Amino acid sequence: MPSRPSPMALQSSSPQPSIFRKKSTPAMSSAASYLSAVSEADARARAHGGTPSSTPALSLSSSVTTSSSDTVLDDPDAEFDDALSYPRNPPTSEQVFTTVHSEFGHCANEQYRFMSQHKPGTPYRSYPEQDPPHYILLTTYLSYLLVICLGHLRDFVGKRFRRSAYRHLLAHDGYAALNSDFDSFYTRRLKTRIDDCFSHPVTGVPGRTILLLDRYSPDYNVTMHPTGTRTRGLNISSYNYLGFAQARGGCADAVEACINRYGVSSCGTRLEGGSLDLHEQAEALVAKFVGQEDSMICSMGFATNSTVIPALVSKGSLVISDEFNHASIRFGVRVSGANVRTFKHNNMKSLENLLREVISQGQPKTHRPWKKILVIVEGLFSMEGTLANLPVIMELKKKYKFYLFVDEAHSIGALGPHGRGVADYFGINPRNIDILMGTFTKSFGAAGGYISGSKALIDGLRLRAHTGTYTEAMTPPVLMQVVASMASIMGISPAPSSNTAVQEVAELERHPGTAPMSLLPSWMPLSPAMVDGSDGQMRLRRIAFNSRYLNRGLRRLGFITYGCADSPVIPLLLFNPGKMAVFSRMMRTRAVPIVVVVVAYPATPLVTSRVRFCVSAAHTKEDMDMVLTACDEIGDLLDLKQGQGERWPLQEIIDRAVELVNMPEDS
Amino acid sequence: MSTTASSLEPLFTLVAQSYETLESTFYKIPGSAVIARYVKSSHRDDPGRTLLEVILIIFAIRTLLQSRTKAEASGKHFIEFSEKEIGELVDEWSPEPLAQPLNEAERAELDSVPVVVGPTGPKPKLANGKTVLNLASYNFAGLAGNQIIKERCIDILRRYGLGSCSPPGFYGSQDVQTQLEQDIADFLGTEDAILYSQAFSTISSVIPAFCKRGDIIVADRSVNFAIQKGLQISRCTVRWYDHNDMESLQHVLESVEKERIKKNWPLTRRFIVTEGIFEHDGVMSDLPKLIELKLKYKYRLILDESVSFGSVGRTGRGLTELYNVPVSQVDMLVGSVANGLTATGGFCAGSHIVVKHQRINGTSYVFSAAMPPLMTVAASEGISVLRNTPSILTTLQENIRVVRAILDKVDCITIPSHNASAVIHINVRTPSSTPAPAQLLSPTPLSPAIPATPLSPSSAKLSNPTSVRPRHPVQFDAELEERLLQDIVDDALAQGVLITRAKRLRDQELIGARPSIRLAISAAMSKKDCEKAANVIKTSCVKVLSRRR
Repeated sequence: MPSRPSPMALQSSSPQPSIFRKKSTPAMSSAASYLSAVSEADARARAHGGTPSSTPALSLSSSVTTSSSDTVLDDPDAEFDDALSYPRNPPTSEQVFTTVHSEFGHCANEQYRFMSQHKPGTPYRSYPEQDPPHYILLTTYLSYLLVICLGHLRDFVGKRFRRSAYRHLLAHDGYAALNSDFDSFYTRRLKTRIDDCFSHPVTGVPGRTILLLDRYSPDYNVTMHPTGTRTRGLNISSYNYLGFAQARGGCADAVEACINRYGVSSCGTRLEGGSLDLHEQAEALVAKFVGQEDSMICSMGFATNSTVIPALVSKGSLVISDEFNHASIRFGVRVSGANVRTFKHNNMKSLENLLREVISQGQPKTHRPWKKILVIVEGLFSMEGTLANLPVIMELKKKYKFYLFVDEAHSIGALGPHGRGVADYFGINPRNIDILMGTFTKSFGAAGGYISGSKALIDGLRLRAHTGTYTEAMTPPVLMQVVASMASIMGISPAPSSNTAVQEVAELERHPGTAPMSLLPSWMPLSPAMVDGSDGQMRLRRIAFNSRYLNRGLRRLGFITYGCADSPVIPLLLFNPGKMAVFSRMMRTRAVPIVVVVVAYPATPLVTSRVRFCVSAAHTKEDMDMVLTACDEIGDLLDLKQGQGERWPLQEIIDRAVELVNMPEDS
Repeated sequence: MSTTASSLEPLFTLVAQSYETLESTFYKIPGSAVIARYVKSSHRDDPGRTLLEVILIIFAIRTLLQSRTKAEASGKHFIEFSEKEIGELVDEWSPEPLAQPLNEAERAELDSVPVVVGPTGPKPKLANGKTVLNLASYNFAGLAGNQIIKERCIDILRRYGLGSCSPPGFYGSQDVQTQLEQDIADFLGTEDAILYSQAFSTISSVIPAFCKRGDIIVADRSVNFAIQKGLQISRCTVRWYDHNDMESLQHVLESVEKERIKKNWPLTRRFIVTEGIFEHDGVMSDLPKLIELKLKYKYRLILDESVSFGSVGRTGRGLTELYNVPVSQVDMLVGSVANGLTATGGFCAGSHIVVKHQRINGTSYVFSAAMPPLMTVAASEGISVLRNTPSILTTLQENIRVVRAILDKVDCITIPSHNASAVIHINVRTPSSTPAPAQLLSPTPLSPAIPATPLSPSSAKLSNPTSVRPRHPVQFDAELEERLLQDIVDDALAQGVLITRAKRLRDQELIGARPSIRLAISAAMSKKDCEKAANVIKTSCVKVLSRRR
C-alpha cells in the first residue's frame, strides 16, 4: 500500500500544506475560507437547483457561517505523511466535501451505494455456519490445554518462590482474597498474554480513523507504559455505523449551540426536577423515528435494559431469551425476578418448541398459567452479525400471544432502507412489535438509549421503571446529538402553515416520515444537507454498500464469516486463540495500520474466537479494499481461509465490487 | 447359505477396508503405537477390565450428550401432553396486558413533574414561563452553567466529537477518560479510580464484581435502591443492621462471627456496605466508628458517597475529608460524578487491585460504551474548580445553615438529615399525642403484617439480622403523607420555589422509607435567595399541614 501523501482537497494548488495549519494568520485563513465558501455555495446552488424541498421558510442563516469553517479540511491532529488523513485521489473541482477525510471518508462515486433491505417474500437466511476442518478444532483445544497447563505450572512455581506477587490472590491477615487465584486464573494466565489487543488508549474522534496512543510493555503485558507517540489507524472497530462520530459538521454545530445554551448537565433525575424541554422534544422525535407512539430516553444504553425490564415483567412472568442476548438483558431479567428460559440462537424451531412447552406446562411446580410471556431478541447480534428472524417471530407471536421486545442496540440506524432498524429492513410495521429498545451510542454517535412502545406502556415506564426515579437524566449535549443526527437521517419537513390539522396529524403518523420542524428546538442550526435528508440518505446507502462489500468480499476470499450479508457487524472466524493476538498485531503494525477488535471466550463459545469488523458509512470503498487486502495477506499466513464456496482472487473482488454487491442472494 | 455369503461379500470387504483405513490412520497419529500396545497388553492380562472400560466410556459419552435443558422437561413436575392438547392449551392461554393505562393518581403524579425550559441552574424557567428558585436540582458546587466548563467542552467537542462509540475494552478508552480517572484518584487520594457511564449503574455493578455466592455482606437497612439491586444481583449472604446504628452493626458483626465459628464456614470475603450520606434521609454515617469496626472484625468497606462526594468536606472530597480519615481505609469508595460534579456517570475509587479487577468484572463497565469525552472533561474541570476554590464549599455550608435555621424551627415537620448535609429531607411530623389512624394497619410495605422471626429472649430488643425489616419499624401512612407533601410542593411552586418529593418505587424498595421532600442546596444561590426559599417552604408546610387537622 503506497503511503503517498496527497494534496488537500480544495487548496490543491497551494505548494505548502503547512500554511493551512497556521490558522492564526488572518489573511490566509480568511482567503482559504472565502475560497471554500464560494465553491461550496456554488455546489449547493447546483445541487439544489431543482429540489423543491429546500424551502425558504427554514432558518438556514447559521449554516452559511458554520459551513465555511467546515470546509477547512485540515485536521489539526493530522501528520501530513500519514496515508489515512487525505484521500489517495484528490477530488476534482466538481466534488465538494464538507467532512474531514480522517473522520468521514470522501467518496463521490454514486456506484458505491446500496440499499439495505430484505427481499420481500423470501425467508430470512444468514450465512450457513461452517465448521472448520477438524485439525483446526483439535489445535484450538490443544492450545487452550497448553496455556492452561502452563498457567497452572507458573502458579504452582510462583506461589512458592514469589510469594509477594501472589499475596492479593490468597487469604491473608484474616481477610479472604478479594479475587482468588482460581477465579482470576483465566484473566491472569490467558487474557494477559494478549492484553495488548484490548483497552488500547486512544484519542480524537473515533471516526473513519482513530489515533492510537502507542504503548509498550516491559513485563509481558502486566504493566503498560505510553511511549508518547501516536499512530493513526483505519478504524474498523468502533460502533460508528452511520459515521456520526464527527467533530465537524451539522451535528457538532448543533451540539455546540446546545452547550452554549444549556450547559452540560440537567442536574437530577427525570422525576425530581431534571426534566428539560429538550428531553420531551427528543423523546417525541425518537418515537417518530422508530414509528411508535411514545418513547422514553435513558442516559445509559446498558441501563436502558437493566432498569426497564424489571418494570415490564416480574414474578409469575416468563422471559424467553435468545442464548446470545446481551449482558444488560440478562442483568435486567435477573433483577426482575421473572423466570427465564433460553432458546438456541435464532433457531425458530427451538423457540416454537419452547413456547409450546412453557405454555402447556405453565409455571414450574404450580402449573398455573404464566401471567405474561416476553420474548426478548436482539435486532442485530453484535457478536454474530445475525439478524433476529423477525418475519417468523411475528408469525409465532400471532399464534402464541407472547409480547415481543426487540433490542435494536446495533440495528437501529444501521439497517433498513430508511435506517429504522430491523423492522424497516424486513418491512414490518413497528407498531406490531410491543417494545422496541435501542441505543444512541452506535449509529447516532451519542450515548444512552431509548425504549419505545404504546403511549400507555411508556407512561407507565416513566413512573415504574428505575430510570425516571433513580438515574440521572440524559445531558443536554448528548440529547442534541441524538436530535441532530436523527433529524439528519429523517430529513426535516417544514412547519405546516396552511395545512389543516388533519393533514398535520396524518403527516405525524406517517412512517417512516420526515422530522417535523415542530419537534425540533427552534434555535437549532440546520444545514441544507440535513434539511433535505440527503446527508442521511448518503450515509445509509454507503453503510449498506460497505457492509455488503466487505461481507461478500471476505466470503469470496475464502474466510469463514457469520451473519447476514447486510449486517455492518462482520465476525471473521479465527478459531485458534493464538491467532487472535497475531491477527490484531499484524493489522496494527501494517504500513497503513488497521485497528480491529478480537473477541474470544467468554464473549463467544470457546472454539470460535473471532475478529469483529464494524463497518461504517464513513469508510470509503478504498478503505474496504485495504481491509480485504490486509485480510488476504494475513489470512494466507495464518491459514484462515477455510471456508467453502466460490472463491475469487483479491484483485477480481476489488475490480468487480459493484457487481459483487448487487448480486442476488447466493449460498 | 453360500448365496447369502456371496451377496454379503461386498459388505464384508467394505468393513474390512474401512477397518484397514482406520487402523492406518490411527497409526499415523504420533504416539498411537504406544497406546495400542498398552491396550493390547491390558486386554491380554485382564479381559474383564476392557469390558469395564468400554462401559465407562459409553456412560461418559451418554452423560456428555444429555443436555441440561432436557433435564428440566423430564423433571418430576413435567406433564406429558399430546400435540393436540398442547394446541388447545395454547389457544386457551390469554396473557395479562403488558401495560395498564395509568390510573388517576399516577396520571397526576406524571403531570406534576416539573419541566425546565432552557438551562437549569439556581433560577431556571419552567414550562409555564415562570422563573423559580431551584432547590430540587443536584448542583451542590454551582457548576451548572459554568462558563469555563462550557468552553472546555466545546473545545473537546471539536477535537473528539461527542460519543465514544465503543466500550472501554475495544478502543473506547479515550485519553481524557483516563485523565478523569486519574483526577478523581488524585483528588480523593486513592491509588486509582474507574469510571462508569451512569451513577445508578455504578454500585449495582461494583458489588457483584466482588461479592459472589457464599460471601457475606453486612448492610445498613436503609441503603439506597442501587445498592439494593447490587446486593440482589450478587446473590451473597446479606445481614442487616439498624439504620446508622453502630451498636446494631457491632452486634450483627459479632453474631456473624459466632455463626461462622458454629457452622464452620470457610473464610469468605466479608463486606460492610453503607452510604456516606444516605440518599433516603440525609443521615450521615459515623465513618471513624465504621472503620474501627471493619478493622476489628476484618471486613472490607464499600462506601457509597453518591450524595456526600462534592458536597461535604473542606473542598468537597466527601466524608473522608470531613472526618479526616485516611482514604485508604475505605476499600471501595463509590461516588457520583453526575451529582457531585454536575456531569454524568459514577466512579469507584480504591487500590490498583480493586480497580483492575473491575475493568474485567464490572458488568456495566465492560458491556457499556465509555462516557462521552466532553462529559469527562466537564467533570475534570469540576474537580479543578473544587480544588482551587474552597470558598465554594464554605458558601454551600452557609447556605445549608441558613435553610436549616429556618426549617428546624417549624413544628409540623421533622428533618432527619445531618446538619452538614446538602441534601435535606423533610418529613411530616406525626402528631404523637393522637393514636395512629386505623388505616395505618392496612398492609403497607412497612406494616408488620409478616410476623418477625422469633428471637431468643436475650436479643429480644434487637432486630433480626437476616431480615431486612427492623424490629420496631416506624409507622406511617405513606399514601397520606405523600399527598400532603405533594400539596406542599405544589404550594411552594405557586410561590416560585421549585422543590420535589423524594421519588421512590415503593413496591420495589426493600423497606419503604418515610415519604419526604428532598431539598438540594446549591452554592450558586445567594444567601438572600436561600432565606427567601426556605421561608416559602416554611409557609407552605405550615399552611398545608395545619389544614389537615
